[in-house]
Amino acid sequence: MKEISVKVFRFDPSCDTTPHLQNYLVSVNEGARVLHVLHAIHDEHDPSLSYRYCCGSGQCGSCAVKMNGQPVLACMEEARDEMIIEPLDLPIKKDLIVDMEPYLDRISSLVPGAEFHMPAPDEVEAIKPLRSCIECLACVSACPALKVIDFAGPAAMREDMRLSLDPRDTCDRVTEAVSEGLFTCTSCQSCWKVCPKDIEIPGKAIEKLRALANQKGLTLPRHQEVEKLVRETGRSVDRTGTTFLEQVPEVLEPDGEVKAMVGFFVGCMYNMRLPQTALDAMEVLRRNGIRVIIPKEQVCCGSPLIRTGQIEFLDTLKSRNINAYLFRNIDTVMTMCAGCGSTLKNDYGTPFKVMDINEVLLRFGIEPPARLPVKATYHDPCHLLRGQGIRTQPRELISKVVDLVEMPAICCGSGGGVRSGMPQEAAALGENRRNEIDKTGADLVISSCPFCEFHIKEHTDKPVKNVATVLLEGYREKDRRTAQKKTC
Amino acid sequence: MHSDAVDTAHVLVIGSGGAGVRAAIEAAGYGETMLVSKTLTGKGGCTTMAEGGYNAVLREADSCEIHFEDTLKGGAYLNEHDLVQILVHESPHRIRDLLEWGAVFDVTDCCEVAQRPFGGQRFPRTCYAGDRTGHEMISTLVDRLHATDVLIENEITVISLLMEGQRVSGALGLDRRGALRVMLADATILATGGGTRIYDISTNSSSGTGDGYAIGYNAGAELIDMEQIQFHPTGAVYPYDARGRLVTEAVRGEGGLLKNVEGERFMKRYDPERMELSTRDVVARAIATEILEGKGTKNGGVYLDVTHLPRSQIECRLPVMLEQFLKFGVDIRDVPMEVAPTAHHIMGGLRITTMGETTLPCLYACGEVSGGVHGANRLGGNALAETQVFGKRAGEAAGRVKERKKAADQMMIEEAEQRIGSFNQGDVPLSTIVRSLQTAMWEGAGIFRNGPDLQKTLGIIRHLQTLRPKAASAANFAECFILQNMLTTASLVVRSALLRKESRGAHLRRDITQNWDPEHSPYGHTYLSLSREGIETRAVK
Repeated sequence: MKEISVKVFRFDPSCDTTPHLQNYLVSVNEGARVLHVLHAIHDEHDPSLSYRYCCGSGQCGSCAVKMNGQPVLACMEEARDEMIIEPLDLPIKKDLIVDMEPYLDRISSLVPGAEFHMPAPDEVEAIKPLRSCIECLACVSACPALKVIDFAGPAAMREDMRLSLDPRDTCDRVTEAVSEGLFTCTSCQSCWKVCPKDIEIPGKAIEKLRALANQKGLTLPRHQEVEKLVRETGRSVDRTGTTFLEQVPEVLEPDGEVKAMVGFFVGCMYNMRLPQTALDAMEVLRRNGIRVIIPKEQVCCGSPLIRTGQIEFLDTLKSRNINAYLFRNIDTVMTMCAGCGSTLKNDYGTPFKVMDINEVLLRFGIEPPARLPVKATYHDPCHLLRGQGIRTQPRELISKVVDLVEMPAICCGSGGGVRSGMPQEAAALGENRRNEIDKTGADLVISSCPFCEFHIKEHTDKPVKNVATVLLEGYREKDRRTAQKKTC
Repeated sequence: MHSDAVDTAHVLVIGSGGAGVRAAIEAAGYGETMLVSKTLTGKGGCTTMAEGGYNAVLREADSCEIHFEDTLKGGAYLNEHDLVQILVHESPHRIRDLLEWGAVFDVTDCCEVAQRPFGGQRFPRTCYAGDRTGHEMISTLVDRLHATDVLIENEITVISLLMEGQRVSGALGLDRRGALRVMLADATILATGGGTRIYDISTNSSSGTGDGYAIGYNAGAELIDMEQIQFHPTGAVYPYDARGRLVTEAVRGEGGLLKNVEGERFMKRYDPERMELSTRDVVARAIATEILEGKGTKNGGVYLDVTHLPRSQIECRLPVMLEQFLKFGVDIRDVPMEVAPTAHHIMGGLRITTMGETTLPCLYACGEVSGGVHGANRLGGNALAETQVFGKRAGEAAGRVKERKKAADQMMIEEAEQRIGSFNQGDVPLSTIVRSLQTAMWEGAGIFRNGPDLQKTLGIIRHLQTLRPKAASAANFAECFILQNMLTTASLVVRSALLRKESRGAHLRRDITQNWDPEHSPYGHTYLSLSREGIETRAVK
């Protein structure tokens, strides 16, 4: 047996005006799950604690709660000391019990036709990855879009895709999904990351449904414009000034010893909207012994097309990009746009290794910058945190320069074509970011994605800078101090 | 006082597992149907947890006759022949219903439903959806249910049946807040599932508390063969709180090997012909014996090994097992599982006719709460089939009951209110009573039984029944009723176990020697009701 201290959300709407967190100290067995802690509270301390559970083995989806902010199945997640247990982000009935029925009711049912078609083995194989959903609604709880806009939710989108793959279903699930909010998904991937069954809803359902919607001519007009632009120019944004690629030579030699060589994939946003940020990054790399090769024929990675389901032109982009690095015998390609990085890593199948700039800098080590007297917060880009699993590296780099204050990792609203296609939703998500930023009391917001940086700038009065820019400022301060010392 | 909300329906279905939902779908074709669930429909019960499969004769090389014989032999010839005939003949039709409604079973390259071997069967006739077959079924059934007009009432705990004379006329329930609900119906279907939560180590979900047995018994229905408890051979043994969690028979169906701590495939000493795929009663006793004789692991189990199988086979056919064990730090592709028997299924239950009629007019039963289909030992894969075959039949029979004017018996409501009120005066925590019961049942009415221990266990249950469970708030009233249902169910199990003075199927009496094999037993069903109890005898061939 061991003792566990736990805080549990308590709220009875019939008599409490506000919820509160109650402390408990309970004895549980080694290996106890969150559910067993709840049982111990109910059995030994307070039988009035309400929580839902049933199968106890991760198969019924009754018991999802938030542990330390993350949705988990109480019956499968190992209990931790000092944990905080709260209900999912759904309407609360009592304590940890939420009203699941409105969302469960929005999940579509198969409508069979008069004639029976047995699904073929390949159809069964296609459906299966979407079929293991236990409707625990962890995804609904985690979905940032649902906090600001009504839509059927990730679980329902998953079922729409499964039904559209099933030869027995007679309904038009694609049109249904579009009307139920298919284009509200920012592709932040929170739903996938919290799914106890590891169902890849964004890639296997949302993007696939959007591709089917594209075939039906249901793609949003703004998204169609982007696709047209990519076809015509190889870029997903239009030209507004001198680009990054126009300002740099093909090879950037570092100062001093060459520690490593990488090919650089700049991406449309850093190339055409935020070229200075990319130049800052080059400066940081130059200072840290990284030789950078920059093929000028590189084009859009295709992410804006994949996320919006317009995949016809994708293979052309892929081969142009891959060849650009392949011809130069580059074995490591560095991205600094989180979206490009995630796309090259997850959607491409590249013959070379892809690393994000944060990974590159930490992998080869950096010269310590000067510390600046600044309190900063870091916004996790979805396509870096969830798309590439990069969480600690940017924090480690940032902490070398400024004091870091954490805020919850929530989508800012700029991804998945939402900023262009659903601007009100994107703005509402941006405002949510504003509130979180304000809560931290930070003077500066740092991120590592051009879409996030660009979008958050519109939703905060604090400066928003890239990790590389902050590092460069640290180096400049260091140089200034050194120069000052010399003049004294 | 409680608000007495009154609902009326033509058919009232109690229970939202495979049998209940199937019954409701069928009954909906005959009139207004209401389904009450103790949990959220689709999430409760054991169907959603059923992993391995669904038995159906689908191939030329197989036959209903062989399925019938396998089921009888596996059931130690205690099965009701009529019920088994219906099971084997209608199971293929009912899986066809599921397929038409969208179920995604695994298929062969020829677009036929794939089948795997299961214990005690001479043909590989167990259809499956990986190792989440029950989940696939319940998802499909709930889908279908939503396409009907059935009124679904979630999170209502039924506490008793309402009577009009000898006829069942509905039920009383409690909602989450402890308010009384009156549900009146022309026909009532019990589809409440099993009750092996009365044991310390069990595979059942939280709803496996035997409510239907107790409610039916209290109303006067007769139950048969309640001593026949299936101990599934393979349940998890650690961590402590996860012990008893089902490790599906599909693991052995796919080629998993049982080994004791010495690495010996011990099944060769118990059933050299069928080995790991012997019937569950035999395998469970073999494992229990190995452990008792000191050949178990230090965690108190034996090894169940699939490490010799291709990794892709494990990933594709046993994904839930793989995921569950990984969560507990064991990669079954590299390391053998450790398993021990766990209380799994109650073969006995309410006595039913082929149309699911119980011994009480207008009360029907289907699924695990009914008895007779599986005899003294159930074959893996027959339970999911039973839910569909008899769920449909009960729904249809209940639907055909003629409509009546409905009125609630105020006396019965007042009686229930008094019972509820008594929980406010209780003084013993519920969990204390539950744990005492579970321990007593595991120790005294488990795999190996004898008369004195059974008597002692019955004494403990009777003592526990005299304690007054305490409700901390109105929300705990339902838990108090559930506890009383567990005690009633346990007493039925033990009383039946005392009545059956022979070893038969899952029921093993160490204190009795007998000179007959199951096929030639002089005994038939044990039976219990408020008015009579005993064991049937039969002419020995």
